[in-house]
Amino acid sequence: MIEARALKKRYSDGTVALNSVSFRLDKKISAIIGRNGAGKTTLMKILSTQMLPTSGTASIDGLDIISEADRIRKIAVSIPQEARPVDYMPAIDCVKLYLAARGFGRLKAKAAAEKALRTVGLGDAMDKLAYELSGGMKRKVFVAMAIASDADMIFLDEPTTGLDPFSRVEVWSAIRAIKGQVILTTHYMEEAQALSEDVLMIDSGKVLAHDAVERLLKPFNGLVRVESQRKSRSSYKVGNTWISYVKKGNAKAMVGRGDIIKPVTLDDLFIKRGVNLES
Amino acid sequence: MNPKFVSAHAWLTGGAALRSNWLYMITGMGFPLSLLFVVGVLSEGSLLPYALAGGLISIVATNGIFTMADLGMFKFEYMFKDLIVTTRTSPMDYMFGVMLADFFWSIPSIILYFVLDIIFHIFTPYAFVMTIIVASLVLLSTASLAFVLTSLVKHQRFVWAITGMLSLVMMIFPPTFYPYTYLPHPILLALSISPTTPAAVLEQGFFGLAPTLWYMFYILIAETVILFLLAKYLTVWRER
Repeated sequence: MIEARALKKRYSDGTVALNSVSFRLDKKISAIIGRNGAGKTTLMKILSTQMLPTSGTASIDGLDIISEADRIRKIAVSIPQEARPVDYMPAIDCVKLYLAARGFGRLKAKAAAEKALRTVGLGDAMDKLAYELSGGMKRKVFVAMAIASDADMIFLDEPTTGLDPFSRVEVWSAIRAIKGQVILTTHYMEEAQALSEDVLMIDSGKVLAHDAVERLLKPFNGLVRVESQRKSRSSYKVGNTWISYVKKGNAKAMVGRGDIIKPVTLDDLFIKRGVNLES
Repeated sequence: MNPKFVSAHAWLTGGAALRSNWLYMITGMGFPLSLLFVVGVLSEGSLLPYALAGGLISIVATNGIFTMADLGMFKFEYMFKDLIVTTRTSPMDYMFGVMLADFFWSIPSIILYFVLDIIFHIFTPYAFVMTIIVASLVLLSTASLAFVLTSLVKHQRFVWAITGMLSLVMMIFPPTFYPYTYLPHPILLALSISPTTPAAVLEQGFFGLAPTLWYMFYILIAETVILFLLAKYLTVWRER
């Protein structure tokens, strides 16, 4: 379980990445969602003991991230955003090296790495050099590290960014195979919906909402999203498009006018709260 | 200390990786061997023994300095450092792992130099033992310097610029390829700011090419200790 209390991060250039954030995450898989620059990665870095907060603190399974970082590192794994396996090493060596950093002996690391790579579907590719792997396979190498480490807490920072839809679904399957509690960041709303039991929405370093996906989407029950080029009553402007929410039954009539009808997703929570998702 | 990580890193990114990346090994030999060739030709062979003695130091120092390139790549390109920070591996384990991995890459060059030393009749068991001691200190001092600098820079392009400058300061100016007796004493002392200078002076003494200036040994040890302590206490590990 993670408990954050008034976490604040101000960088040396004055940028406030996190502004007194408090929350509690105790579900099997939780997603932290937000647009680029919302503060997701900073939050992950602080929680995973990679970075110190400016003020406030948090605990992982009761251990303080500031004073008990070393004990947290024993039970938690953090896979950074944009991490890549070392090009000139085979996939299995990348996993073995990470496990050695976690204190695994040579034989134990080899056995755990092989098992985890098979779990994520890389059984046939484990001896390939990393540069020979596709983007999805490279990300799966990191998920294999998380699985093989057998940690209680796993932080995955944007695990599927830049992957094609098929590779993303593959990585999702691998994430579901992780035993411990998983905290992942994403700006793909469908990813948060597909994987997580609860969602922490952040924007400009603040928590916008925190709840289960179903409860967050409850205000949209029976509604669909209408994207139009024309302004209408109670519509929201995103770029050059006007977005409104109508009952499913009323939406059919709007198709003929050239409007686009889409199911409601977590994106719509940001739109309703006036967060511009365009950038 | 996490010896499992140090040995795994040294072997997996060094020894084992060498097989599929032998071209880099040849590149690593290029700089010291080119200088050896130039010095040999220009001096009509008279300075070749000096260049052979100093060349060993040059290889080890190149290896230490270019640890910075690998540390930079691991930090900025692979995000490997970020991955390791959140484990119980210490920054010193990480430094030793990268340093020893890079050392694997220079082993063929070191062997080649020892063979050349034998061919040119300057090799002695005493020089061999003392060279290992001096080379170890040079490796540790240059790798420590590389570790501190990499932790402070914000982008890989600075890493390339700094390694270029360090190569110049630590390999070209010091008497690694020419007799230290050519230098006025004050200049020799000034150049001793680079660990390669006392190392090269000592090497020339151990190989019987010039008088051994033992105080250079103390300078080299002091520099190694200082640089190692800087690496231990000045390196930015957990981001602030």
